[in-house]
Amino acid sequence: MTSRARILVVDDDGGIRNTLEQHLIMNGFDVITARDGVEGFDRFNATRPDVVLSDLAMPRADGFALIQQIRTNDSTPILVLSVRGGDVDKVRALDLGADDFVVKPFSSPELLARIRAQLRRSVTTRPKKLDFPELSIDFDKRRVIQRDREVRLTPTEFAILELLARHAGRPVSFDEIVAAVWRGAPSTSNDTVRVHVGALRRKIEPDTSDPRYIVTEPWVGYRFIAEPLA
Amino acid sequence: MNSSSDHPLKRTARAVFSQLIIGLVTFSALRLHANAATSGFAFLITILGIAVWTDLSTSLVSSFVATLCYNYFFLPPVRTFTIQDPANWVALISFFIASIVATRLMLRARMQADRAESRRMEVEALYALSIQLFTATNRVGALGEAASRALANVGAIGGGLVLFGNGTYDQRLICWSGPREEEIEDLIAGVGRHKRTLEFPAMAGRDVYLPLNIGGDVIGVLAARGTSTALRALESAATLVALAVERERFLAESAHVQALEEGDALKTSLLRALSHDLATPLTSIALQIERLREMVDEPAGVVVHDIAEHTGRLRRRIENLLAMARLEARSVVPRPEPTPAADLFRAVRDHLPLVVQNRQINVRVAPDCPDVYVDPSLALEILANLVENAHQASPAEMPIELTAFAHPLDPERVRLEVADRGSGLRSESDVNTDPSDTPRRGLGLEIARSLSNASGGQVTLTNRPGGGAIARVDLPGACYPAPEEMSA
Repeated sequence: MTSRARILVVDDDGGIRNTLEQHLIMNGFDVITARDGVEGFDRFNATRPDVVLSDLAMPRADGFALIQQIRTNDSTPILVLSVRGGDVDKVRALDLGADDFVVKPFSSPELLARIRAQLRRSVTTRPKKLDFPELSIDFDKRRVIQRDREVRLTPTEFAILELLARHAGRPVSFDEIVAAVWRGAPSTSNDTVRVHVGALRRKIEPDTSDPRYIVTEPWVGYRFIAEPLA
Repeated sequence: MNSSSDHPLKRTARAVFSQLIIGLVTFSALRLHANAATSGFAFLITILGIAVWTDLSTSLVSSFVATLCYNYFFLPPVRTFTIQDPANWVALISFFIASIVATRLMLRARMQADRAESRRMEVEALYALSIQLFTATNRVGALGEAASRALANVGAIGGGLVLFGNGTYDQRLICWSGPREEEIEDLIAGVGRHKRTLEFPAMAGRDVYLPLNIGGDVIGVLAARGTSTALRALESAATLVALAVERERFLAESAHVQALEEGDALKTSLLRALSHDLATPLTSIALQIERLREMVDEPAGVVVHDIAEHTGRLRRRIENLLAMARLEARSVVPRPEPTPAADLFRAVRDHLPLVVQNRQINVRVAPDCPDVYVDPSLALEILANLVENAHQASPAEMPIELTAFAHPLDPERVRLEVADRGSGLRSESDVNTDPSDTPRRGLGLEIARSLSNASGGQVTLTNRPGGGAIARVDLPGACYPAPEEMSA
């Protein structure tokens, strides 16, 4: 029997805190709560949770400060919960080290899916092969099989796919893609990344009108949305 | 001292007095039995003194008279105007030329000194004026006071400052002193149109109308009446006044901008508080509804579903209104980025789970459809509103079609369509204002239109062949530069 994952919920609103706590307990998680960044960091050090859910606007120390403090020497997944999804807060939080961003009000299935994705990522070592529904990626042989047919990718496309698939469920920023695939070449623009990702999507998506694997993450980059098969 | 501008009587007196001095020098030299050389030097020094003291004509006449006296009394044979020794001719001519040249040099030096003094005074006056204008216009609304000081500074006994409207010659009187005749307005308009200074002789001094030039545009006219100040100094004063006008305009604009910024900051602060205070309880409600749904069975589940649907709609309306308010308050500006239409359609379906649960939504993106260059959050709101409208306006069993393709007429735009099989619009002429089409003409359509306009696009409604309606959103398409290499 595996132990229940422990989740730290940091939010200054008591209603949200209690609702999230009940909801997460109902879905099989252990939950610790904190009212602000200061209390959140204390609880984090005391309990070492598996995932942190943190609001951004809080008294004493806000969500940005909490992310910074945790990231000084820890890589525990952090999901940011905030009322604002369309502004620089999202990019700033991700740049500081947050792993994902959920905009309030959110639906519980979405939140649970994001938590599961983070938990999977945190326990996964670098696999040699990843299988997704109707898509298989063999990193050693550099082969991609989609619905029993091999998809031929250019080295750039394969490198992008590998990066996104290894971080399935988590947004991957343009900067991360450029750093990993182009080794940070300064002449590489976001548009270059877009063109290569567009070509990749045309090759691996069964229906380009209805993406199943790669979607854009506004202002940030891309997210591999398919969940790996167990 | 400028002798040429002295009263004529004074000048005559000086001329006569100069001749008396020459007579006195002659008499003294004779009494002292001075020789020709000594008396010649005495005459030369006297002529220099006269040149310093009098004007050019008096100096020249004095030089001539001194030459005659020198010849008559001191060059042999004395008491005659004849000269026996040719050497004395040379002496006499040398004396005459020396006295003339010395006179000219002395007068030129004196004139330059006078001019330098005059310029010094002008610079001092303009400096004093600039200080006064700076201190007077350091606050909004003190321009009239500044113009009055400028006029006083240039010695005007009347006149004032008139400014023109923005890009027109409508006159706004800032200040005026003294009589103001009817034709003044035409005169000032003429100065503005032709951008030239006008001067008229007046009872005292002259009346000067100076255009105020800023960057080649005439923004007004400074009228200096009854002034005797040099035109150059007046033009400099007008330039200073023009700068003062411009400065006051900047001050007023700055105050306006500051007020707007403070207003925007207040709106932004209110919006942040509203966003937080509305989104937080809605999140709680949404999570509680999810819990409730898992806890109850039919038929209570139907009620919970209804609650969830209405809560979802309320949440979306609040999001819409906050998005519009943020745009209007400029607390956010659209941040367009290339976005695949398929991703937008997917985001819409993720955003409207209750609609998707109960209705089939078909998506088609043309293979050659460019990405949309749009703020993704605004595009999502636009499409979500149109899909919600279509959902309400059409029977549940009929699918909604989402289509994206390159605009048929404009290659730089992308057309997104939301098509339903509802009752359609009453007529093509009033498709956008049809009052009978309540679901489509509600707040959702208005929000979609506003956000579309903010995104550089537009929303139109049209009837769909075979029944129903199509909401079309035309948005800018993304244009990618050719990548340096495709297979790095």
